[in-house]
Amino acid sequence: MRAVAVGQAELKLFWRNKTALFNSLVLPLLLIPVLVSIDADGTPLVVGLIGFALVMAVYYNLVTTFVARREELVLKRLRVGELTDPEILLGASLPSVAVALGQMALFVAIVGVITGVSVPSRPWFILLGVVGGIVVFALLAAVSSAFTRTVEMAQVTSLPVVMACILGSGMMFPLSVLPEGLQPVLRLLPLTPVLDLLRAGWQDGPVLRPVIVLAVWTVLGTYAVRRWFRWDPRR
Amino acid sequence: MTAIEVRELTRRYSGGFEAVRGVSFSVERGEMFALLGTNGAGKTSTVEVVEGLSRPAEGSVRVLGHDPYGERAVVRPRVGVMLQEGGFPPDLTVDEATRMWAGTLTSPRPVDEALALVDLSHRASVRVKQLSGGERRRLDLALALLGKPEVLFLDEPTTGLDPESRRNTWELIRALLLEGVTVLLTTHYLEEAQALADRLAIMHRGRIVAQGTVSEVVDAYPSRISFMPPAGVALPVVADLDVSGRATVRTNDLQQTLHELLAWAHRNDVALSGLDARSASLEEAFLAIAEEAA
Repeated sequence: MRAVAVGQAELKLFWRNKTALFNSLVLPLLLIPVLVSIDADGTPLVVGLIGFALVMAVYYNLVTTFVARREELVLKRLRVGELTDPEILLGASLPSVAVALGQMALFVAIVGVITGVSVPSRPWFILLGVVGGIVVFALLAAVSSAFTRTVEMAQVTSLPVVMACILGSGMMFPLSVLPEGLQPVLRLLPLTPVLDLLRAGWQDGPVLRPVIVLAVWTVLGTYAVRRWFRWDPRR
Repeated sequence: MTAIEVRELTRRYSGGFEAVRGVSFSVERGEMFALLGTNGAGKTSTVEVVEGLSRPAEGSVRVLGHDPYGERAVVRPRVGVMLQEGGFPPDLTVDEATRMWAGTLTSPRPVDEALALVDLSHRASVRVKQLSGGERRRLDLALALLGKPEVLFLDEPTTGLDPESRRNTWELIRALLLEGVTVLLTTHYLEEAQALADRLAIMHRGRIVAQGTVSEVVDAYPSRISFMPPAGVALPVVADLDVSGRATVRTNDLQQTLHELLAWAHRNDVALSGLDARSASLEEAFLAIAEEAA
């Protein structure tokens, strides 16, 4: 696969980028002592941590990656080559996706062992949630990058999605504690259906609705990328 | 056989600005065609459409018989592009950047061969951010050549190169032309176009204002003879005098006019100091066009 060539180069760049390395590898390790001391039901924690990896390692990392490569004129250069547009975006996304999957595996392993999380009864819903989440958040990152002038600005422009997902998707606290009128709206956030699907992997829960919401986000994200993604620097 | 065919191309930017207005030209296989023009004349805007980066607002473009935008997958494996401003991740080495590019191509040359072509072999392990501007241009050229292209797009390929590298690049381009590669060049170095191009077009404000072989374009402009006449002498030819008193004669028959002038000077024992006679050059044609159009 041709996109892998770009992915390999991105991986080298990732290893050479101290900030990204620290954020993606060291910070999660620092979380381990906190996780180890937890004495509670592990499943919501595992679900929340997977969601966290999607938002930070996939979404936030990719916003900065897309902006950096665009401003370095790398995207423009790649675009006159043989790769198709989706291949370029896929290649640039590979390391972040790999890091996110690694973080998820680490979190699940640690929390699973410590709190004795049971083996999911319907693992395919977890797979669907993780894959769908990666696709949607990679697309959202590409859209956000279009509205981000510099790598530094990514901290600001990514904030709406990051905050909405972390606070409003039932990751930190269940949606049921929020006013009833607000809940249906929050169920439409991109992370909420992912978390619903993950939960459905362990316990019975609705799956049709989250699958539909996730599919709609995928379609909207694809449309928005086609419409707004910028290959040339913003000047 | 025609490699590039551009017909009545118009390119409009989102604000409604027309950067290219009804441009037509064609480039035969194995030929080098140069697009010249002042800054902002629309050269890069034109070339980007031919490269397939953008769809023409009006008109049509064919590269090797295909639509470069709509049939990107067919056209791209057969062309090489060197952008006016292309980038590589600053933290990759020259070798890594070239290998990455090779990994995206259908049938790449060996990486070492491509780097040797542009004299960058000795810099293979250096990070891109440590390269000089000229070295970066050469790396860009190496990538453009990596896929063994039939058609090569060079957008100001020698900007920032030292004179020696520029000569080497010219030699490389000549060798490619001999192999049958078709080249579309944009440059603002007129001597580059004069040295390399089979045919050229001069653009101004989005239009082509002159087109043909170098001599066809140049022949439309007069040759010049200039000298410092002694004060108070009546010249046998029509001449413009500038503030320093230097006379410039414009003529379409350089040999005849020069002969008349020299014979007159000889007969009258007049010294024409600083005598300079030259056929019209591309530079003169270019400046005249820019002036006329201004």
